[in-house]
Amino acid sequence: MLPLSIKDDEYKPTKYNLLLKLSGWFRSILADKTSRNLFFFLCLNLSFAFVELTYGIWSNSLGLISDSFHMFFDCTALLAGLAASVISRWRSNDSFSYGYVRAEVLAGFVNGLFLIFTAFFIFSEGVERALEPPDVHHERLLPVSVAGLLVNLVGIFAFQHGGHGHSHGEGDHGHSHSLFNGSTSHGHSHGGHHHHDKHADSHSHGGHHHHDKHADWHSHGGHEEPHYNDELQHLPGKGSSKQILQGVLLHIIADTLGSVGVIISALLMQKYDLMIADPICSMLIAILIGVSVVPLLKESIGILMQRTPFSLDHALPECYQRVQQLQGVYNLQEPHFWTLCTDVYIGTLKLLVAPDADTRWILSQTHHIFTQAGVRQLYVQIDTAAM
Amino acid sequence: MEEKYSSNVLSGGQLGMVEVPDSRLTRYIVLLVISKVLKALGIFESYDILKVVHIVQFIFILKLGSAVFLLFFQKPFSSGKAISKRQWIKLLKHAVFSCVISLLGFFGLTLCGPLRTLLLFEHSDVVVIALLGVLFTNSGGGPSKTRGAAFFIIAVICLLLFDNDDLMAKMAEHPEGHHDSALTHFLYTVISFLGVADHKGGVVLLVASLCLKVGFHTASRKLSVEIGGAKRLYALDNLVSALVLLPWVIVLSATTESKVESWSSLVLPFGMIIFSVMILEFYVEAICSAKMETPRCARYGALALFFSALLLANFWTHPLTDQLRSMSKPAHYGSTEHVLSGGVLVSAIFFIMSSNILSSPSKKGQKGTLVGYSPEGTPLYNFMGDALQHTSQSLPRFIKDSLKQILEEYDSRQIFYFLCLNLAFTFVELFYGVWTNSLGLISDGFHMLFDCSALVLGLFAALMTRWKATRIFSYGYGRVEILSGFINGLFLMVIAFFVFVESVTRLLDPPNINTDMLTPVSVGGLLVNLVGICAFSHAHSHGGKSCSSHDHGHSHHGHSHSEHSHGGHGHSHGGHGHSHGGHGHGGHGHSHGSGGMNANMRGVFLHVLADTLGSVGVIISTILIRQFGWLIADPICSLFIATLIFLSVIPLLKDACEVLLLRTPPEHEKDLNNALEKIEKIEGVLSYRDPHFWRHSANMIAGTIHLQVMSDVVEQRIIQQVTAILKEAGVNNLSVQVEKEAYFQHMSGLSTGFHEVLAMTQQMESMKYLNDGTCIM
Repeated sequence: MLPLSIKDDEYKPTKYNLLLKLSGWFRSILADKTSRNLFFFLCLNLSFAFVELTYGIWSNSLGLISDSFHMFFDCTALLAGLAASVISRWRSNDSFSYGYVRAEVLAGFVNGLFLIFTAFFIFSEGVERALEPPDVHHERLLPVSVAGLLVNLVGIFAFQHGGHGHSHGEGDHGHSHSLFNGSTSHGHSHGGHHHHDKHADSHSHGGHHHHDKHADWHSHGGHEEPHYNDELQHLPGKGSSKQILQGVLLHIIADTLGSVGVIISALLMQKYDLMIADPICSMLIAILIGVSVVPLLKESIGILMQRTPFSLDHALPECYQRVQQLQGVYNLQEPHFWTLCTDVYIGTLKLLVAPDADTRWILSQTHHIFTQAGVRQLYVQIDTAAM
Repeated sequence: MEEKYSSNVLSGGQLGMVEVPDSRLTRYIVLLVISKVLKALGIFESYDILKVVHIVQFIFILKLGSAVFLLFFQKPFSSGKAISKRQWIKLLKHAVFSCVISLLGFFGLTLCGPLRTLLLFEHSDVVVIALLGVLFTNSGGGPSKTRGAAFFIIAVICLLLFDNDDLMAKMAEHPEGHHDSALTHFLYTVISFLGVADHKGGVVLLVASLCLKVGFHTASRKLSVEIGGAKRLYALDNLVSALVLLPWVIVLSATTESKVESWSSLVLPFGMIIFSVMILEFYVEAICSAKMETPRCARYGALALFFSALLLANFWTHPLTDQLRSMSKPAHYGSTEHVLSGGVLVSAIFFIMSSNILSSPSKKGQKGTLVGYSPEGTPLYNFMGDALQHTSQSLPRFIKDSLKQILEEYDSRQIFYFLCLNLAFTFVELFYGVWTNSLGLISDGFHMLFDCSALVLGLFAALMTRWKATRIFSYGYGRVEILSGFINGLFLMVIAFFVFVESVTRLLDPPNINTDMLTPVSVGGLLVNLVGICAFSHAHSHGGKSCSSHDHGHSHHGHSHSEHSHGGHGHSHGGHGHSHGGHGHGGHGHSHGSGGMNANMRGVFLHVLADTLGSVGVIISTILIRQFGWLIADPICSLFIATLIFLSVIPLLKDACEVLLLRTPPEHEKDLNNALEKIEKIEGVLSYRDPHFWRHSANMIAGTIHLQVMSDVVEQRIIQQVTAILKEAGVNNLSVQVEKEAYFQHMSGLSTGFHEVLAMTQQMESMKYLNDGTCIM
């Protein structure tokens, strides 16, 4: 009656020759706005790093070479983001039954960790230099850091614009999420709001008349159904890549801050011979980076550890209570709720019911209650109590 | 005065951090803070005045001034009931006591200086009573109060022993005949009889008088009820004590000549002291303890007072403030100020902490989390889970418990011992480096310390894995282990990358390395790391063997065993064989996954391995450089090592990633497929949907599945069968949703897929809140 499992091999990049695979990747990168942005920015960054490297080797300047390697290291963050945004769109297969959507969370986490490492290194370097200020050759520093700043500014602009475009282009998508969430309004779900005035209207409208009869209800359902179909077709394909974007953006902002700090300290050193400015700047930047990364890390660790979603923390007890009040339900056991990826929540629970209870009714009611709270996939195991 | 504002703002900020008060209470708190800051100011001012004015005169003026003021305000005679003769006698006793206490307090002030006096003497009654309760009764109120009392005692001891006050030395050689009066002379002799220096004597004196003060306040509560209110009592008390002191003051001013040039210049400071110390503080405290709970009031007050005292002590001798005060204070009294010392700072911090702890109400009975409301409307609390886990607050007990937990299990014990070894080595290195002033050793020591962080992470993860599941983390904390392994792996990758870059730059431009110091240190490091490798690889092979005892894998273990008898050379092999071991284990199923795939231990092991490789590389390159002068050997070595680390980390990262991405566990995949086939063949099962199986932690595989069954079978039987089949395949946290045909048909009738149905129900629910389910069936 149903397909046992979707064997969708065309997205599994195996058994193809390299060229096809590459072009396939390329296509999938260019297909999505986020990954396209990431890709272009990565190219920009890489080319800058290569120019720096070749120039460094040509002019035999060690500082430039090491800086270019640093840039390469930075590129890994972008690469991680890019890879995640491509991977998260792969279809699910037998081994990865949930799909690869978690890659985005992982990418955000990795980015955050890298940033923390970077901040730590910068900080320790800053402390070392504060104790013993070295002679910095600031004549070469300025042009390189200005160029780096420009590149990073382009990045920030692209991503903020991209984020904006993201909300515009995927307005439907964002909106459907906000629907699932009840009324949690994220930054990017605002973009799509004006498309759906009707929706919002019907929402509030329904809120008042919750004792109406089914006929009306059904007609409404029929009305909304096609709409939903085309909205939801996007869902498995386009994972909303909040975590990736956040991580990458943070990374670029950190880089930009670094460049700004270098420029400021270079100026200070040139103008006033304040040698202490450099370490102080770098320490401040390191602290800033560290602090800004913490929320991202916290959130992604929570998701990776299958924490109960933050947004459900308060909704769940009420749901439990409502389920327990259903007729025939004795007890509710082992409730597990977790986040698959941004805004997709999954839950499992076991219900102990009376032997003569109507299990089908309980099942559908439980599904009702929890979908209302925003849980996308629910598994309810109904155990009948012994007599 | 500027410092007043600055301290006010600062302490205000402090308050906001401690606890967000109700907006209703904010103005009382602000009032309290301001009054406390003014009081600190007043105490500092009075310290200056006490240098010129005799202490008895000073107290007399204070009492008299406040009595006059209070008589106007409170009108104790015209209002309220008349006071009987017995009450007058009680009042007299009360006044004498209060005189003695303020005498002692202000005398302590002259001895210790204003900052220390504020720290010692100005604790509110709640704090001291809690302290005494902890010290002298058995039911102190839990470990947190004990900690607070310990802090208090530490603070006092700090003030006694570690406070190197400059003035102390001067005071110690105080000429005996210099004393102005019989009273001060008597006190001085008592203190010198005790055998402590003047300043320390002041500390003792202040602590004693603090206890007296609290006892006095408690005792006077009854009297205040009798008299008709604390305010009236206060007013009368001031008046009577002024009268009591009057004869003494007359005698004093008759016998001794005053050091004061002009009393008129002292009017303003006296007025300020009277206002801030005696009157404003009293009223504000009364109001605040009426409006808020007393402990809270005490906490905020103490915080404000201590912070402002610290700030004032810092700025009081500042030239700018001297300028500001020059109108009120004619002469500048040299450098006899009590200075801020480290001991005072430490003890101030301890005082703040202790007053915070001691004044916080004991939180019994409010620890549970609100679950919901019962049908009758009473709130239900959940006392299980994390609430119970964190009840033991005491630090020593916490350390003892966690040590016990660490030593309980093999993994964490290994990590712990190795961590201790590593730390010891690091500290020896650091110490030696500081001693011989060698920068290389110090930086190497810090590098080691940094490495220890990986071990700490591993240890923490090994501990955390065993925490019980809570409401929030409903699957338990088992994933910490995998996360920690992942982080360790990433960490190693980053390090390898940096080493790689460094060695490339060195390859282009080989620097001149000073090899003298390197060898002993790196040999030491190598030894330490070798111990670690032995320990960890042993642990791993043990775990592996115990769980895969059925069949192959012996050859691997043999390999790893031979590896650590060989020592230095075999290490790259060891890493290789190790990763193979993990793989080989992964290949065959069944083993119920106990300890087999401990990503945490693998991460730690790899880290130690990388360190060892680093030391080996340093030693080899040092030898090469020394023997043959090949400077290029160093970068090549490190290049090689970086690649090795990189390669050995990849399997770990891959495995961890797969777990984090919720992959079906590869070693169980075949079994699961078989199990699914079996499930299909169960009688009555039509089909299954959405089978998800994923590894949560080392010993937990969670799974969910939807089953469609015929409408006439017993669901319970099917659930049991499916659970049994999947349990055999290794899934130990399963939930099966059984759907009968009607349900499914209805769901699928509305739309093409389940997601859509769910989404639609959501949509409809949001439009129409339906309580009755008949419409969907």
